[in-house]
Amino acid sequence: MLTLDGVQVSFGGVSALKGVSMTVSAGETVGLVGPNGAGKTTLFNVISGIVRPTAGDITFRGHSVLKAPEWKRARLGIGRSFQIARPLHHCTVRENLIVAQRFGAGRVDHERIDEILDLLKLGHKADRDAVSELALTEHKALEVGKALATNPHLLLLDEVLAGLETNGKRAFMEQLALVRDRFNLAMVVIEHDIPTISALCPRVVVLNFGEIIAEGNPGAVFRDPNVVRSYTGEAAA
Amino acid sequence: MLSLTLQALFSGVLAGGYYAMVAVGLALVFGTMRIINLAHGELVLLAAYVAYAAESQYGLNPVMAIPFALVIVGASAALVYALLSRIDQDREINSLILTFGLGIILTNAVLMIWAADIHSTTAPWFQESVVVADTLFAMRSEVVFFVGGLVLMAGVHGWLNHSWQGRAVRALSSNRNAAKLMGVNPRRTEILSFLVAALLATFAGIAIYTGKTIFPSLGHVMTVKAFIITVLAGMGSIPGVLIGAVMIGCIESLTVTYVSASLQELAGMILFLVVLFVMPSGLFGGRKAIAR
Amino acid sequence: MKRFLVPAALAVAYVAVPLAFGGNPYVMGLIVAALTIGGIAVAWALLGNLGGMVSFGHAAFFGVGSYTSAVLSMKLGVPPLAGLLLGGLGAAIASIATMPALRLKGPYFALAILAYAHIFQILATEMTGVTGGAGGLLSIPRFPTLLGVDLGSKTGGYVIILTIVVLSAAAYAAIRRSAWGLALKAMHDTEIATRVIGVPSTHLKAAMLALSAFITGVVGAFNAHFINFLEPDYAFSGAWTVLPIAAAIFGGYRTVWGPVIGALTIYLLDQLVFKELMPHGHQFVLGMLLVGMILLSPGGLAPILGRRLEGGQRHAHA
Repeated sequence: MLTLDGVQVSFGGVSALKGVSMTVSAGETVGLVGPNGAGKTTLFNVISGIVRPTAGDITFRGHSVLKAPEWKRARLGIGRSFQIARPLHHCTVRENLIVAQRFGAGRVDHERIDEILDLLKLGHKADRDAVSELALTEHKALEVGKALATNPHLLLLDEVLAGLETNGKRAFMEQLALVRDRFNLAMVVIEHDIPTISALCPRVVVLNFGEIIAEGNPGAVFRDPNVVRSYTGEAAA
Repeated sequence: MLSLTLQALFSGVLAGGYYAMVAVGLALVFGTMRIINLAHGELVLLAAYVAYAAESQYGLNPVMAIPFALVIVGASAALVYALLSRIDQDREINSLILTFGLGIILTNAVLMIWAADIHSTTAPWFQESVVVADTLFAMRSEVVFFVGGLVLMAGVHGWLNHSWQGRAVRALSSNRNAAKLMGVNPRRTEILSFLVAALLATFAGIAIYTGKTIFPSLGHVMTVKAFIITVLAGMGSIPGVLIGAVMIGCIESLTVTYVSASLQELAGMILFLVVLFVMPSGLFGGRKAIAR
Repeated sequence: MKRFLVPAALAVAYVAVPLAFGGNPYVMGLIVAALTIGGIAVAWALLGNLGGMVSFGHAAFFGVGSYTSAVLSMKLGVPPLAGLLLGGLGAAIASIATMPALRLKGPYFALAILAYAHIFQILATEMTGVTGGAGGLLSIPRFPTLLGVDLGSKTGGYVIILTIVVLSAAAYAAIRRSAWGLALKAMHDTEIATRVIGVPSTHLKAAMLALSAFITGVVGAFNAHFINFLEPDYAFSGAWTVLPIAAAIFGGYRTVWGPVIGALTIYLLDQLVFKELMPHGHQFVLGMLLVGMILLSPGGLAPILGRRLEGGQRHAHA
């Protein structure tokens, strides 16, 4: 469904991504891991259209989306969350989802909004005054909810589980799995916690210094000496 | 034809001298506060009318009026600053409207006190023509204030680059937080930039009064012109602003010479829009924070 | 309380005001002029509040609207009422020329639009064949008599401009409540967050600019047929920018009715009080009101009044 072909990004001469190629199939959940600064968020920014690659191509559902702006990619079915939550201020939780439905999906389907609110356990906060009063977990849920409300085929989740304590993390992970199965989504998940990623993702891609250094099932990948070395701070061989 | 063009360019360069004094002040304040002071041109206007009042009522030579104008314009600039620093929410939009309102107040205060008539100096010394390089004509005032303006701007340039306070102004412009960490007092530095802007505005006002004509809506015209110049040249350097100002001066005088005096302002406006759209970082690439 | 406020105000505006002042052309003329400012103020506030853009050049759209309708009715015999819409359309088309300015930040946008106003004014002066140049257009057709109501009279004009203002404010209110309004509101803080959920933010801002220009153009066209005379210095006068801004700020540009209330207050005060006291430079007071409002109550008059009416209910920071 999503294919990256030799994607390169450089900011003022510094390469953030050095020819990344990968595919994500329909319904698949892929874990994206790597040390800080490896280029994970940049990769999300490239897929969602915030950053234009200096070289390479991106195809989504059979068409190149290289030239499509962020909002067009959202309408094509690429949804994303931000590491630091970016709710629409001055709006209630429900209004956040209404805007996403109206613009991302083309029309407002209140049943779907209620279902999303329900799945993400946001129902009781839906019509409160301002999103600024939400707790951390609820902010994370709203990030996912906004993306879901655009009726995506692919969901890019940037550290939505980070910062949650163990029980909260497990509960939220279960919600994500439910959401994925309910809406038949492909997902790419950035996450540092190895047990979490192993439980959620049958396939893992490891990024280091803007390059993919390993890829495969979590068990094998996390035993790969290259990967271990990248995490312990040495340059990849 | 050639001599006509040369004469137009010469007049344009001379006009650029006082345009630059106005524009440098606008850029200085923008640098320290990230605010376009839309009442900046009205400070120039005020200086010009102080000179007019001193001359018409007390028979004072416009040059002798400079100390009085400095006090009045400086106090007005300090007042603008004091009001601006009280804004705490929606700073960008509210400061724009606040200084817009202050400009209206100053223009109409001038209108109330001195009516809408056009004035210029009655001292003949300023208006006598001088001949430069055998063929180029100018009014003595234009030459005197062009040279004076250059000296003044060179002084400000030196101050910015070599004095401790000047460096504080530059530090605040380039990185506000870092400057604060290095011990720059932002309020003192901001007000200093306002006062230097007032000094330049005062000289520009006297220059206009002695070399051109003054009328109440001049303030607005000068604000817009200064803004256009900073868009052309960037906010970054005094030499850059001077070049931008001379360009505007030359384009205007060429338009007046070859097309029509009524299109003088249009030429600058069109150049402004073209540069904004085609070269969003200014002619010299020195402008930041203008285009998203 | 609030539910009855709008219908009551409309009833007063459409029935009581003509009954009370219909016999007094001077007062009626003042109210029409105040509403003319109010219409532009609503358009300006719509752009400022929803689009997040301060314009110092709405005179451009006012002038284009007035000339479009005046010229079409004089040269092609277009009926003045249809000319209203065409004037709005003309201004909206003119706004397309200004759209490259949308990518500019605050003060740069504000002054770029001002540059357009100057350019349009000069063009209107120079295109003598179409606009009559500096000499202006005389005897622009007046509004017709419709169903026994002389729309060309002061009271007729009042009904027209009132309707324009009411419809504009209603459109503004409807957009503000819609998903469009929510998205526009959210854009000021986090434009990128709105873009990744499918909001074409630049298009939305462009649409607000076009709508704001359209409303201003309709008001300009109305004014042309109401006073039956145009010249470039008048049609593109800075007053069509300054007065609406003062009105919108004074009344509260983040509310729908604030600009209209502000226009009525400011214009009537200006004409009836300040102009009498100070024949020269009476805009001085407008400047004072602007500065005072921004410093003391940046939200304007309407939120203060609203708080009283609603007893401190929630105020959406729209």
